[in-house]
Amino acid sequence: MENEITELKNYKLSFHGQGKTYFGIVIVNWLLTVITLGFYYPWAKARNLQFLYGSTALEDDRFTFHGTGKEMFVGFIKAIIIFGVIYGILFLFVYLEMPILGAIIFYFAFIAILPVAIHGSYRYRFSRTSWRGIRFGYRGDRSELFVSFFKWIFFSIITLGIYGAWMEMKLRGYLMSHVRAGNIEFNYKGKGFEYFILNLKGYLLSLITLGIYSFWWYKDLFAYYVDNLSLQKEGQQINMKSIATAGDFFKIIMGNLLIVIFTLGLGYAWAVTRTMNFMVNNIKLEGDMDLNTILQTEDDYNDATGDDMTGFLDINFII
Amino acid sequence: MISTVGKYFDGISSRSQDIGIQLDETNAGLRFGISSEQPDFWSIDDILFEHIGNSLEIRNRHHSLALIKVNDDSFATAFIAFLKAKGRLSWYHRILQLGIKAYISIALLILGFIVAGYLLIIPTVAEKAVVLIPQHYDISMGHTFYKQYVNDNKVDSTKTAALNLFARQLKLNNTIKLHFTVINSQTVNAFSLPDGNIIVFTGLIDLMKNYDELAGLIGHEVSHVNNRHSMKMLCRNLSGYLFISAVLSDVNGIMAIIGDNVHNLQSLSYSRQFERQADEQGTQLMILNGINPNGMTDLFARLKSSEKVVMPGFISSHPITTDRIVYINRLIQRTPHPYTLNSRLEELFLRVKN
Repeated sequence: MENEITELKNYKLSFHGQGKTYFGIVIVNWLLTVITLGFYYPWAKARNLQFLYGSTALEDDRFTFHGTGKEMFVGFIKAIIIFGVIYGILFLFVYLEMPILGAIIFYFAFIAILPVAIHGSYRYRFSRTSWRGIRFGYRGDRSELFVSFFKWIFFSIITLGIYGAWMEMKLRGYLMSHVRAGNIEFNYKGKGFEYFILNLKGYLLSLITLGIYSFWWYKDLFAYYVDNLSLQKEGQQINMKSIATAGDFFKIIMGNLLIVIFTLGLGYAWAVTRTMNFMVNNIKLEGDMDLNTILQTEDDYNDATGDDMTGFLDINFII
Repeated sequence: MISTVGKYFDGISSRSQDIGIQLDETNAGLRFGISSEQPDFWSIDDILFEHIGNSLEIRNRHHSLALIKVNDDSFATAFIAFLKAKGRLSWYHRILQLGIKAYISIALLILGFIVAGYLLIIPTVAEKAVVLIPQHYDISMGHTFYKQYVNDNKVDSTKTAALNLFARQLKLNNTIKLHFTVINSQTVNAFSLPDGNIIVFTGLIDLMKNYDELAGLIGHEVSHVNNRHSMKMLCRNLSGYLFISAVLSDVNGIMAIIGDNVHNLQSLSYSRQFERQADEQGTQLMILNGINPNGMTDLFARLKSSEKVVMPGFISSHPITTDRIVYINRLIQRTPHPYTLNSRLEELFLRVKN
């Protein structure tokens, strides 16, 4: 083995989206959604993601979201049918005067949908994202996630929710460590115990300080997500680090709140671009990876059902 | 021929190649390549593009991962003008090029339509819809509430019987059967249910000095029942809420929350509107029965003296008592109102009071 002294370099992450451009997209989406009685929603969502991904750049090259309204519309219809069937079963049992059995099946179906929807959402979103012509991908196994998810839910219930912290970290760990960008592998090493202590401390101190500590809590949470994420490729790696302070969080949160309230919600577009800017500028990437030698490895995947289901369930896509 | 330089990513590795790019107007497409090689050609039929800031990214529909990147504003302008001239600029890109003034106008226009729809269409449609809802819904809704409510409260059966006799002396224009209940409670209140059940608290009866005040109260509550105010209120509130939430949550959560709160204020105004209608029709019922309509204003005067806090009009479910006295007085003045003393009502009123 030869000993190479590798120099660490910083990678530039930037956000170029402007509030007024995004405002146009939001307003046009709104107009079309109202006119079409909501049916434009999947296209609106695709436009939205195209803008947000397309405005984010790594080393001055932008990300691309390739998903289309048509794919999302098909997913949207499938998701409506799936939820329709679940509600249909509930009403059937209520009609048959077996409401308790109906409710049990209903909740069970909802819990069962979660991992399926999350899996589908990750597969779709990542396979539809590229950078420098290299596709991202998610290689998690649906049945494996399904079984683990039920196990975690079970532990969370019997520990009265305490296991929730472990569940969140295990879920994130599973999802992130199956993400690829060409031959780059993602890795997340957050631990349930640390995360639990972090939240316990954040909760108690926020309570004592009447909420003032919550900005430090946000800072710690953000840092915990970011700092534990890393990328690997052929022995080279990139580590992430959050440099956001509690004061930064105070400024962004209070600023957004004031913008949105004083514009009666119309300033939402500026709040989003400010938030994107904030996140991108507070994540530092450092490592020895050569980003010019990433190879295409991931397949195409165009089923957006999972993504639409998570949309209905109001689960935000997290990376 | 317009040309520039840019970067090309082949969709196989992340390494970029420097390329020359030409806008080929005769063949309608883009010609690009590394100078020494045979150039590639993408037809405008296959081209997808995104223009964010000063960066123009061009992709090919059939080869979606390959990517041409240009950072040249004059080329980007020429490229977009070229697509536009060839009719290949989608309507969406056209709308997006309108600029911020146009967006603000669109936003205000939609908001205007929403407000107009909400204030004019929703209440009218909702009230029309009430006609379609069979009255037995009102009745079963009222029954359910009555059973639960009266169960938990002390009914004064003697006073209840007397009050029902009192009401039977009056012509009330009712379409459904009315039933009155007196409940022992210090609360100064009375309310009607959609099934024709009217509940009166002894706290309110104790304040009254004359039978025409009781007739005024009955007239007011019966008017709520006659006009199906409960059902109208339910329909207006529900449809308004659905409308606001549906239209505004397409934009964002904050806007939906603001909308919901505005809607709550608005529904109080519906409520005040219905109360006023009940006041006026109640007074007309008194006149119809040859009862002194000033009993209505006397009743309000008693309510006013028992009020501890006066709520500002717009956050109250009822009109301000002073206003109620004013508009009822006006109504009385413009309506002839002959009345005689009714000793039977007088006698029954005393039985309700004691």
